[in-house]
Amino acid sequence: MSAPFVLTGVCHEYRPGALALDGIDLVIETGQHVAVVGANGSGKSTLLKMLDGLVFPTAGTITSFGHPLTESSLEDPVMRREFRSRVGFVFQEADVQLFCSSVFDELAFGPLQLELAEADVRARVAEAAEALRIGKLLDRAPYALSGGEKKRVAIAAVLAMRPDVLLMDEPTNALDPRSQVWLLEVLSEWKTAGRTVVIATHDLSAAAEACDRMVVLSEEHRVATDGTPFDVLAQRDLLLEVNLIHEHAHRHGRGEHAHPHEHGHLHAE
Amino acid sequence: MIPALAHISDSAPRRRASRSLARRTADALASAVAEVLANDEVASRPGLMQRLDPRVKLISILGFAVTVSFVHSLPVLLAMAVLTVALAVASRIAAGPFLRKVWAAAGFFGVLLAAPAVTAWITPGTVLVPFGPASITYPGLLVAARLVLRVAGGAGFGLLVMLTTRWTDLLAALTAMRVPDLVVATLAMTQQQIMSLLRTVENMHLARESRMLSTASAGQDRGWVVERMAFVARKSFKTADDVYDAMLARGFSGAVPTLSRLATGPRDWTWLLVSVASCAAMLAIDRMVFPA
Repeated sequence: MSAPFVLTGVCHEYRPGALALDGIDLVIETGQHVAVVGANGSGKSTLLKMLDGLVFPTAGTITSFGHPLTESSLEDPVMRREFRSRVGFVFQEADVQLFCSSVFDELAFGPLQLELAEADVRARVAEAAEALRIGKLLDRAPYALSGGEKKRVAIAAVLAMRPDVLLMDEPTNALDPRSQVWLLEVLSEWKTAGRTVVIATHDLSAAAEACDRMVVLSEEHRVATDGTPFDVLAQRDLLLEVNLIHEHAHRHGRGEHAHPHEHGHLHAE
Repeated sequence: MIPALAHISDSAPRRRASRSLARRTADALASAVAEVLANDEVASRPGLMQRLDPRVKLISILGFAVTVSFVHSLPVLLAMAVLTVALAVASRIAAGPFLRKVWAAAGFFGVLLAAPAVTAWITPGTVLVPFGPASITYPGLLVAARLVLRVAGGAGFGLLVMLTTRWTDLLAALTAMRVPDLVVATLAMTQQQIMSLLRTVENMHLARESRMLSTASAGQDRGWVVERMAFVARKSFKTADDVYDAMLARGFSGAVPTLSRLATGPRDWTWLLVSVASCAAMLAIDRMVFPA
């Protein structure tokens, strides 16, 4: 079976001189949970949009499940339907992703685009609503939901398409701690189910917990390192260099010391 | 977006001491968001019209609105205006705020349009208040009263639909009534994005106020508002692009099919029957009891 994504020498410039990605070589295999981490502006979101066929390389190539992923290839209705049914994207801002008049319509949008029969669409809506525990919200308008509820609906709307690959941009953003734990549990279930997941985040602790592979993007928009979370997090100097952690000086009682600091770091002392 | 006409609140507007432009604008925006959310609450009340299928409601109200436009006699027009208030009360909407909204939106414009008609210059006849060519005539008053009652009746029926139907159900009804999918989807997105932009603008005003150490001049306020308007316009374009990307990501290919979740029951058919009979009765009374 072909890998969900193979990127070879991928570059992207939003305009001449405004580089977003530079020479990315990456293979994402089926069933992997990959965290793309990097500082703000490193190109994480652009990379995810590229994997979803929303922006395209200005140099280099991407193949998805063995097929070239280009603007022209997605104009083919068969390829587009095949690709969209297999790859789902949860956007960073749920407000952007929720454009239907009700939560029910939101969940039904994707399956209806896949031209499924009405009974199948209803079954998928019910399944996704149950999985995300949003059954009571189905008749509500998305604008009337809380931030956490919107995020759940956004994820359910993608899940209703039953994709093989899930792309999530800053999935823990705007979630309270309880919802973050819930999301990590959902990601863990997907791992068990063998689904491929790619998340873009700068939350190292969430990335380490949810993923078995970590790809670090540098501020120069290149892959700085690629490995297991254990190996990557051990490279303190590199994480400092790519601006994912910083030197943190503080006091414990009468003593003062400095150490690298990252999101989610807890002091045991 | 639900028009301002449809915003209704059971509480009286609060009066406050003089406040900054930022504070006034932020309060107005917060109030607009709250009122849209409150409308959903009104539409969820267990009232007469809230229980109806939205399609049946739309069709019947359209029938009433058309009837209003065909009726000539003042007593029948008055009866129809009273009917809107009775339906509002039966739908658990307070009569006072409902009347205020109908009058503010329709009565005011109706009076403006009807004002010239009361004069002898437009409608000659028995003069009641002499004032040269602008004398007020009896036939002129009748014409003006007819116009105002018609507009108020039509607006009242329209307002009833807006207040007793949740936005999502209204859009579902439009879809079921064969309004093109793209039109309905655009309406849905517009509502969503306007709510989002309203919150953004409210936060911008609050952020400004939190950093203001002294009162800005009116000119500074205006300049800031213009500059922020440009920012919001840019943001709305960016949001539109992002929403389109989100649609593409979920397989959008030009059509926006939806599943109708509406169902009619005996109550809806009874209502439709009563509505048709009422409209026919109004027209019959208008023609036979009060012939022109």
